[in-house]
Amino acid sequence: MRMPLALVPALVPALAAGLAVVGLAGAALAHGPTPQKIDQSIVIAAPPEAVWTVVGDFGGIGRWHPDVAKAEASGGNVEGTTRRVTLKAGGTLVEGLDEWLADGRTYSYRMSDPDLKALPVSSYSATLTVTPDGTGSKVSWIGRFYRGDTGNEPPENLSDEAGRAAMNRYFADGLKGLKAAVEGRTTH
Amino acid sequence: MRHLRLIAALAVATAAGITAGTAAASAAGDPVWVVSQQGAELARIEAGTVAGRIPLGPAPVAAATDRAGRLYLTHPDGRAVTVVAPGEPPRRLPVPEQAFGLAASPDGAHLYVGDWSGDRVLKIAAATGAVEGAAAVGRDPAHLVLDRRGRLYVADRESRQVSVIDTGTMARVAVVPTGEAPFALALAPDEASLYVANVRSGDLTVIDTATLRARATVPAGRMPYGVAVTGDGSRILVTNQHAAAVTVIDTARLEIVATVAVGPYPEGIAVAGPLAYVANWFSDDVSVIDLAAWRETARIKVAEGPRTVLAVGEPAR
Repeated sequence: MRMPLALVPALVPALAAGLAVVGLAGAALAHGPTPQKIDQSIVIAAPPEAVWTVVGDFGGIGRWHPDVAKAEASGGNVEGTTRRVTLKAGGTLVEGLDEWLADGRTYSYRMSDPDLKALPVSSYSATLTVTPDGTGSKVSWIGRFYRGDTGNEPPENLSDEAGRAAMNRYFADGLKGLKAAVEGRTTH
Repeated sequence: MRHLRLIAALAVATAAGITAGTAAASAAGDPVWVVSQQGAELARIEAGTVAGRIPLGPAPVAAATDRAGRLYLTHPDGRAVTVVAPGEPPRRLPVPEQAFGLAASPDGAHLYVGDWSGDRVLKIAAATGAVEGAAAVGRDPAHLVLDRRGRLYVADRESRQVSVIDTGTMARVAVVPTGEAPFALALAPDEASLYVANVRSGDLTVIDTATLRARATVPAGRMPYGVAVTGDGSRILVTNQHAAAVTVIDTARLEIVATVAVGPYPEGIAVAGPLAYVANWFSDDVSVIDLAAWRETARIKVAEGPRTVLAVGEPAR
């Protein structure tokens, strides 16, 4: 999670509309406010290995997430790889891979640079894990994030509530898309 | 053996109640307090179970204690500090701006509160909330710790440094460079070293408190978010928020000597006698680590979003 000081000016135009000056100093970077939880899962009618083949490729999110227009990764599925995920609705998520474990069918990553147009949050980290569930699989996608404006009086579009709504929608859409991609493939 | 320990712990806990002081610091099962941010609750853990709960105002985060056993908690979103005195209902103290980290003077007269978005530390009269002084620090002051001489160390998260403040004059007497995004701090029991957990560079900076220079910066695991030191000073415990683990660092060799698996998104950590307690933010529970076996022995359910653990047997900081 690199958030160099140079990013602050980039955020200012987006925030200026709804922000008192006093909030700006901590707006982009603060971790004082309340971190928010995302905790979603879905059951997929396919063995874990088949699900992992689709979801395990960090740079391949564009093949199963319906909100993603395109994604490109700087390298393979190893710590330090970065992916740039461009959303259909606009904005780009830049995410760094922290851990990728084929044995555990899990990977963890975190946001590198905030893009309030893509998601109204100032930072997040997440972990996706595939586990057996009967004859099928369960995919859990969990994470932690901070609202888009971490000052004391965030505007409505950068509040905890707005962040929760956007992050939950993004994760839910993704899991539904993953299920469709995997089950569609295995039944044909 | 285990049973004897538990019985001893129960006896101590019953006798001490909320006013537990420093005398029983070596007894097994010393009580600790756990602060849950989303659940807005303070839980007292004794002998492996939640022995009491105190509801608080919204979103408390950091906590400090004084010699009398009073607890102080910050509410960054609520412009407030809560004071919990033994036997009294919680009292709300309004504070300016975004209070995050805090420390209390041992006599409970003064609070030192980091103003996250104001890049300063305020000195506040604990009785009235009156601002008695302020010191400018770096960007986004995170946790703070007070030593026995009255020197305050502040982790300036976005300035890659620790600010050192003389609380008598509220003058900044030194700035010590650290790794990237210093967040949590812990003093060695002899106060010769200050340990600084750097969130983004994944390491620990060791500051010599005599020279106020960094002596070393060593790997500490993925996203170090909390730090504590064992009572004998021989080991540093660092929570790794992105690895669901605690790394254990030998203070003499400054190397990781063990890794203990805990719950997801661990944050605050405190040592109480032969045990350490870790707040698992995501799973809403507290891991208990046996410091002799270096493994997790229990998980205790608490209110949503635990971030801070405070050992009441610790000297007030």
